[in-house]
Amino acid sequence: MRRRTLVLSVLALASGLAVGPAFAQSYPNERLNVTIAFGPGGGNDILSRTLVQILEKHKLYPKDIAVTNRAGGSGAVGWGYVFNQKGNPYHISTTSGSFVTTPLQANTPWKPTSFTPVALLATDDLVLLVNGKSGYKDIKDFIEKARTKPPSIGGMGAVNVDFIVPKVLSEKANFKFEYVSFNKMGELNTALLSNSLDAAMGNPAEILGLVASGDMKALAYSGKKTPDSLKGVPTLQEAGYDVGISMPRGLILPPDAPKAAQEWWIATMKKVVATPEWKEYITKNNLTENIIYGDEFNGFLDRTSNGFATVLRASGAIK
Amino acid sequence: MDIFDNLLLGLAVALQPINIVYLLIGTMVGMFVGIIPGFGPSAGLAILLPVTFGMEPTGAVMMLAAIYYGSMYGGTITSILLNTPGESATVASTFDGYPLAQQGRAGPALVMQAVASFIGGTIGVILITLLAPLFAQVARSFGPPEFFMLIMMGLLMLVVMIGENWRLGVISTLIGFALGTVGVDLETGSQRFTFGSAELIEGIDFIPIAIGLFGLGELYYSFYEGLHAKGSGGIIQYQKEKRFWPDLRDWIDTRFAMLRGSLLGFVIGVLPGAGATIASLMAYSVEKAASKTPERFGKGMMAGLAGPEAANNAASSGAMVPLLTLGIPGSGSTAVLLAAFLLWGLQPGPLLMAQNPEFAWGLIASMYLGNVALLAINIFAIPLFVLMIRLPYRILAPGVILICTIGTYAVHGSIIEVWLMFIAGLVGFLMKLYGFSPAATVLALVLGPMAEETLRQTLTISRGSAMIFIERGVSLTILLVMVAIVLAAAALRLSRTRARAAGSAPAVGS
Repeated sequence: MRRRTLVLSVLALASGLAVGPAFAQSYPNERLNVTIAFGPGGGNDILSRTLVQILEKHKLYPKDIAVTNRAGGSGAVGWGYVFNQKGNPYHISTTSGSFVTTPLQANTPWKPTSFTPVALLATDDLVLLVNGKSGYKDIKDFIEKARTKPPSIGGMGAVNVDFIVPKVLSEKANFKFEYVSFNKMGELNTALLSNSLDAAMGNPAEILGLVASGDMKALAYSGKKTPDSLKGVPTLQEAGYDVGISMPRGLILPPDAPKAAQEWWIATMKKVVATPEWKEYITKNNLTENIIYGDEFNGFLDRTSNGFATVLRASGAIK
Repeated sequence: MDIFDNLLLGLAVALQPINIVYLLIGTMVGMFVGIIPGFGPSAGLAILLPVTFGMEPTGAVMMLAAIYYGSMYGGTITSILLNTPGESATVASTFDGYPLAQQGRAGPALVMQAVASFIGGTIGVILITLLAPLFAQVARSFGPPEFFMLIMMGLLMLVVMIGENWRLGVISTLIGFALGTVGVDLETGSQRFTFGSAELIEGIDFIPIAIGLFGLGELYYSFYEGLHAKGSGGIIQYQKEKRFWPDLRDWIDTRFAMLRGSLLGFVIGVLPGAGATIASLMAYSVEKAASKTPERFGKGMMAGLAGPEAANNAASSGAMVPLLTLGIPGSGSTAVLLAAFLLWGLQPGPLLMAQNPEFAWGLIASMYLGNVALLAINIFAIPLFVLMIRLPYRILAPGVILICTIGTYAVHGSIIEVWLMFIAGLVGFLMKLYGFSPAATVLALVLGPMAEETLRQTLTISRGSAMIFIERGVSLTILLVMVAIVLAAAALRLSRTRARAAGSAPAVGS
């Protein structure tokens, strides 16, 4: 009985959007399948599970929700699975940096823009870090010194935003640098602490503790707005260099999903991002809130993908 | 007295009934995922991580950490009974563990590994309690040049275990290095030998290869020998008259091996990177070098099992040091723990222990209890495992193949890796038939890519100059230690040949 009232209220909402009445009246009336293209504990996993928690707590989805981790091939397996559910409105997945980079690297049948876009919710951005005991005063000082003596900058992986952000920065600020690629976060951090590297690109959540203790110093933030936990650190844009490259944390449906389903999800996400749980997720994970919906999200993915491809092709990382 | 106060605080937290329950769940899950080949601590952690979302962090971390070190106990059981290491850290335990089981001493070997694990784990926690801040300094002095030197040391140890037939050993090692080149080239991002397959981008994983080469290879070999037709018994002999408990000589033989293994394991475990694998290899080599009868290693020496076992457990304690004191994960499993810290709203980093003493010291205190619990679980469970190997071989063998397949598939859910495992099984059988060294292949597969990565990182940083290895104090120290080991080994061999020559000279004369 209670479920039925719930369905009715959701239906009222969906039909309010003035979409095809037949489908709108029946959507959603099946179990929702959430595919996480990575293992538990990663950024995608946390975003997906947070979304599910919010949908359940605020009773935004009337039926059951099943969450599955389909890890493998840097996301190729999980997103490939969602890609194969063409037209099925009962599958959703979240995106991350690999959503853009994996198709550039491997022969995936899909591109980031192949899916039905729902919303970009936030971006994951990076901090430019130096050793706490190094002589760098601030980002200006760093760039000036870099122009005379090219620094080594470490980051995670070669086909990754960790490489693209300093690369674009160096082109705009006119300096050269050696990029040192790492496989594991721990080794990247000790490389900076042991004075092997001049600088490193770090994920805010994972380095805050080392910044707070003074072991590392944050020079600049690559996102639109510095998170509160890094107050006082300028964004690259504020420092005069608009890099404009971020990893998208968003929501997608399979390709060719019905228009009504896409609009139902856009309306629902508007409610999700207004909840206190969502605000808490953004602060706790040090993300930059950046909300755009539907086709605009696809435009963002297209620009990001092209930006990545240009830089990576120039460096020889991809063909 | 600060440490004592902290430890008491930690014990008070750890001894709360609900936390004891979590701890016991963690130890059991750890044992269980350790026993199934393929399923490692990362898999166990990943399964239970979502459960901890709403939990109180201290109880949750006790449970997750127990999965991590508990799996080190379980992992050795299949190394001994089935010659199948569940992870790279227990490869060294197959060298003498499996021969012991083949000689009918599976019971004593299993008891010994449990005791060695307990001693290694406990010495590790004692060192965390007393000296964590000191070892944090060690961890933070390791950059790519130091890691490269450490991995070279690991490869040097590989030479020790290649053994008599060095030609076949070198070929085995090269096969491992070759497999290690598959995947994305870390430095340039270009792909090597992936044939456009997304599943190969991340390279060939250690687990399917190890399970195939060791476990399936051994099974196929026993089919080849016709063991399945022989009724009861199997690859492993079980003799009633050989007692369940290790005898006095075993204890005397291994007392220093455990101590040396524990200390070595902890120090190397503190360093992010290859920790437990390199530690157990080095412990094996140290025992072989220190032994009066090195030629009996690989044929069922208790010390050759106890040393590496103490080392890999001490290393898993050691890996907690950078995690707690710097917020830096040293392995896949501790990276999941770090993600969990963030999920629970904790701030990992140098201030973690000061800001959350109950959390940090509760975890440390729980590790003392967890190791005691694991020892008890092991001692009770060993008779069950021994029963298992008394199953007729024609029943046991298909079961083992099934478990290996499920375990391999469970790691990444990849069918390609299952095929890799079966191919590796065939190759492993041929290697055994013709006297190659599967251990060298597997360890080269683990160490090769790490050596390549760290060397290229180092040379990028130094802009191509190898002088960086000498200019940095820590790296120079490891280099000197390696030179000393090589010289000492050469001198030892020389003096032995001379002694033998001198001893046999009169005989020739008469």
